[in-house]
Amino acid sequence: MSREDEARLADRLRTSDPSAFRELVEAYQRKVYGLAYEITRNHDDAEDVSQVAFMKIHRALGTLKPGYGLNTWIYQVVRNAALDHVRKRSAGAREAAASLSALPPSYEPSDPAAGPEKAAESASLRRRVDEALVNFSERERTALVLRHYHGFKVREIAQTMGISLGAVKSYLFRAIHKLQRELDTAETCPGDGERP
Amino acid sequence: MTRCGRWRKAFPEAIYGELDGRVRGKMERHLAHCESCSGLYEKMAAAVRKLDARPAPDREPRFWEGYWDRLEARMGREAAAAPGRRRPVISLPVWAYGAAGALFFIALGIFIGRTVVRPRPELPRTARVTTSPGAGAIETAIAPGSDGTPLAVRASRYLKRSRVLLLAVVNAGPRDEEPFQLNLALQKKTSEDLLREAAVLKRGIGSSDRRLERLISELEMILLQIANLAPEPDDADIAFIRAGVESGDILFKINLTEVRRAAGKPIAGRAPSPWGPAREPSIGAKAVGA
Repeated sequence: MSREDEARLADRLRTSDPSAFRELVEAYQRKVYGLAYEITRNHDDAEDVSQVAFMKIHRALGTLKPGYGLNTWIYQVVRNAALDHVRKRSAGAREAAASLSALPPSYEPSDPAAGPEKAAESASLRRRVDEALVNFSERERTALVLRHYHGFKVREIAQTMGISLGAVKSYLFRAIHKLQRELDTAETCPGDGERP
Repeated sequence: MTRCGRWRKAFPEAIYGELDGRVRGKMERHLAHCESCSGLYEKMAAAVRKLDARPAPDREPRFWEGYWDRLEARMGREAAAAPGRRRPVISLPVWAYGAAGALFFIALGIFIGRTVVRPRPELPRTARVTTSPGAGAIETAIAPGSDGTPLAVRASRYLKRSRVLLLAVVNAGPRDEEPFQLNLALQKKTSEDLLREAAVLKRGIGSSDRRLERLISELEMILLQIANLAPEPDDADIAFIRAGVESGDILFKINLTEVRRAAGKPIAGRAPSPWGPAREPSIGAKAVGA
């Protein structure tokens, strides 16, 4: 969604256009679910959090200020809802640990030209990256996910997370550096990345 | 932070192409001279490229086809289950709650002030004798009653009204001869007023004038008989009242009291007179005058 489309949708939401909210949900549902999954690391929780976030957004549409970024605001709501969910979940740490071996679902079509060896190598790398992300702190992971998967700039990440630009830069550096080290370690000792 | 540290912190922005040309040029010059930073930069950039091997979390198309229906149904359920969670139609600003609290405490203070620390009702003040030696005479005065009128004035009025009433009753002839002579309703009403006044006067006078107090008590008995007369009393009832007035010399005592008051003499023994300033100079005053 371009900036102009985002601004037009925000205007329609402010004027209580009945079709605007559905349009917003359909435009953002995958992104919202994706961020919710990155924080909760659980499919059911991610769906629950995404629905809770959309309901909060619906209730708060009247408070949406002109000129305030709709995109940033939605991600803010989703992140807060996901953090609340994780806090309330009594055995959150255990469930998160249990989901380490579960790859995040992806339904991108695989390249038919790629051979089985290439596909296995790709799956292995995907697993290593996902395991590395689990070891990040929530802030490091959120900053990197917003930057890499949602295309946020540093300033937008700072606004969404409610932290300074310098803090965002630090989290991003630490996250990428950790990822680089984790992947280097996995490549040096490939057996460690394979779980029985 | 070292020079390398400052540049390394900017690596993510450089990798994602967020640095402007001028800063990027400076960084490239630093990387060209710093093997450590350039090595780290290459490794981090490679790690970011590997992130693409892991696509963003997603679900199957069927999941997204029913997403809006599930969300809409849940919103309906939650709205029906918890109507109290909706925003109130009228929402008061924060200052309104503060103002309401302040008004509550003001009202509470007024209530406490009126009920707990209210000044006690002032009792009828008894005769207060004030002496002003500097004036050269014994000045006695009676403090004003509750209505502000001096007690002496009230007592004088009381006696005059009582005398008029008693004269009317005592001089009333037989009913068959003068049927309209006595306006009994008016007399009864006047008697009731005088009885109330008598009670106030007796409290005010106290022991300062025994003679006047006794006269008021005797008058009370007569006034009570008049107030309790039947609407159409027998001649015998009137005769009974007349006998009481005559036997007690009530009218004579009233006249005597009035004369004493006019003369400015103490009426009841050695007690100072309640009738106002005494006209007799004190002993000290005589000595000075002599």
